[in-house]
Amino acid sequence: MNALTRTGLAILIIVIVILAIGGGYWWYASSQPGKTTTSPSTTSPTTTTQGGGGATTTTSPTTTTAKQVTITVIGPWSGTSAEYFKAVIGNFTAKYPNIKVNYISKRAEDLAKTAPLQFAAGKTPADVIITPWAWWIVEMAKKGYVVDISDMINPNDYIGGIVDKVTYNGKIYGAPFTMWLKPGFWYRKSFFQQHGLSEPKTWDEFLNLLDQIKQINGIQNPIVTGDGVGWPESDIVEHFLITFGGPDLQYKLINCEVKFNDPQVKDIIKNKLVPLIKNGYFSEPIEWTQAVDEWWSGKYALYFMGTWITGRVDDPNDLDFFPLPGAKGVVGGADYGFIPKFTDKMDAAKTFLKFIATEGQMYHVAGPAGKIPTYKKISVDKLWKPMQSVYQKILNLGMEIVPDLDDSVGGDWQTLFWDQLKLLWAEPDQVDQILDTLTQQHPACQSSS
Amino acid sequence: MFRGIWRRSSRKRGRSKKAIIITFLLPELILLLTFVLTPIVGTFVISFQTDNGYGPDNYYKVITETSPDKALVLPKNIESLRPPPWGALIHNIVWVLIHLPLVVFLGLALAYLLHEVKGSSIVKTIIFLGMVIPMIVGGLLIRFMYDGTLGVVPLLFKTLGINSLAKTWTNYPQTALISLILGSVWLWTGFSLTVYSAAFESLPKSYIEAAKIDGASGLQIFFKIVIPLLRHATIVVVVMTMLWDLKIFDIVYVSTLGGPGGSSNVMALVMYLYFARALDYGRSAATAVILALITLIPGAWFIKQVVKSGKEKR
Repeated sequence: MNALTRTGLAILIIVIVILAIGGGYWWYASSQPGKTTTSPSTTSPTTTTQGGGGATTTTSPTTTTAKQVTITVIGPWSGTSAEYFKAVIGNFTAKYPNIKVNYISKRAEDLAKTAPLQFAAGKTPADVIITPWAWWIVEMAKKGYVVDISDMINPNDYIGGIVDKVTYNGKIYGAPFTMWLKPGFWYRKSFFQQHGLSEPKTWDEFLNLLDQIKQINGIQNPIVTGDGVGWPESDIVEHFLITFGGPDLQYKLINCEVKFNDPQVKDIIKNKLVPLIKNGYFSEPIEWTQAVDEWWSGKYALYFMGTWITGRVDDPNDLDFFPLPGAKGVVGGADYGFIPKFTDKMDAAKTFLKFIATEGQMYHVAGPAGKIPTYKKISVDKLWKPMQSVYQKILNLGMEIVPDLDDSVGGDWQTLFWDQLKLLWAEPDQVDQILDTLTQQHPACQSSS
Repeated sequence: MFRGIWRRSSRKRGRSKKAIIITFLLPELILLLTFVLTPIVGTFVISFQTDNGYGPDNYYKVITETSPDKALVLPKNIESLRPPPWGALIHNIVWVLIHLPLVVFLGLALAYLLHEVKGSSIVKTIIFLGMVIPMIVGGLLIRFMYDGTLGVVPLLFKTLGINSLAKTWTNYPQTALISLILGSVWLWTGFSLTVYSAAFESLPKSYIEAAKIDGASGLQIFFKIVIPLLRHATIVVVVMTMLWDLKIFDIVYVSTLGGPGGSSNVMALVMYLYFARALDYGRSAATAVILALITLIPGAWFIKQVVKSGKEKR
């Protein structure tokens, strides 16, 4: 065999191998559930068909399971936050001794990397998955990976709008768990008393307060800016938009009925927020947990953060907050549980999901998790004491709970939003370019154009 | 008759030799097929998958993307020579242009200076620590190294009275990319130092001694004898560093996530964002294929050099 024939043969073998693998892969990919056009449905053994229309619904979860089963639950909490959730699990297993719960901590981002591939292969990493990313649950539901739990959840039992975020084509795919709020600027009561400061009632008073704080010895900046991958800045921006544009603006921005480069939005960002950044009222973005310590130690006076901060400080009774004067909306976001259709412990999974969506919330809000229930049948007096006063203050101020903007839009736009706001803090003069970028890349704006 | 028996036994020997070769090759071939070739072909196929069937759409969209967090090239910024973002591909190239010469120079210089010095192994070990720690930890260390309140770099500039640089470098588009590149020099110099140190050990001393006898100066010996003799080590350092720079991910992911405003974005992160955030596997795979094709350039050159040096030895 000469060299030319040998080379030709080798090329032929490689081509055949590539074609065989490619063909095999194509056949495999096209036979997966994600590629089919059927609507999502449950595969539970307890599924029943009602009426003649062929509508598939699920029966109510059984309250007792004779056989001992262990379900795996994935949630976003780790460290002390996981301990607060384990209190919920403890109460669940006390009520349902035949169901054991194996809890695994996984961030929403990490889950989004691996779970879709497992679902595509007809597997699931857990029987119940809890995530703050409602948009992701809907994306998975669109592909037919999530169990329809419409019969388990009555939207009227929950805070308005919460269930809408996990509803797709009229079916509910996620069960709301507890929620956090991002009500305003947190401060230490003792710090305010020591320096004769008081909560502002008008925008001018707010500016005056910032000036007063700036004069205090040892203060680096009046407001500390938290930094994760940019999300704390997004909360501040949303608060400004809701305060000066009203809660409606938040909804309109989510749906792109109002664009980010709209004159109204530009006016709020350019004339209210940017001057504060430029004049050094905000600090440089600092890793948000480190920022808690520095703010608490008196290096900064104010910190815009969610209600979970109540569980992260030494003395929550020394803690209070105020929103921007005139704010009529507060951003709130919930964690949601869902059941992947590939679980083989459907009954137990549903029992657990029903529990955390209802009475289970009580055990979560009773501890220092800094959360409030989404389930309306749990009264305020069940909340952890420091959270009771926070929640009461929000109610007294008449603040409407509105969904988190970037959590609602989701996808890669969310990371873009965070990143562009980090840029705003570094380069406030680039505000026009930033708002144009956010508009151009907004998925709802792209589809509408 | 004897000729016939000899032919038969020689054919038998040939067959058993082939059987042995196949027996030894088969497990590796199966592993390669399963874990290397199949994912490569799979990625290639996915990169052409679109909502309407198969086509080059994903490649077109990835290449022409203009969003700062996913653009491979942002031409408007290059024209005006503004600070980053310039696009992930350009950032990777800038990374190679700055990181590669520094790593080669520092590794070579340190290996030369520490060669045959008592106690040098301690210094080498300290420098090599950057290589040993996981890159995720390395990224976090870089983040804190440049932190305005905790970091050593801003503190240094504060002490020198240069307040414009006494800030958190990773927060600003002008400094984010360069801070990561310089941080990665610290993480990767241990590699080049190790390769050059090993190469110095194998240098034939007779050449240097002969040069000394002929009256060559230290610099002449270094540039005219040592460096040419270190050619193979340099090829290894250059190629491995280029590949490392092109596929850089972990450091960027933990320290800046490509920001602010996409100013420190790199190709591997773009691939990740398409995959884990946009849940767009087609574009993620297309980015992966483009990245693989780019890394093939130094890879192919390296293989050519290895083959060439093998022939020279023979």
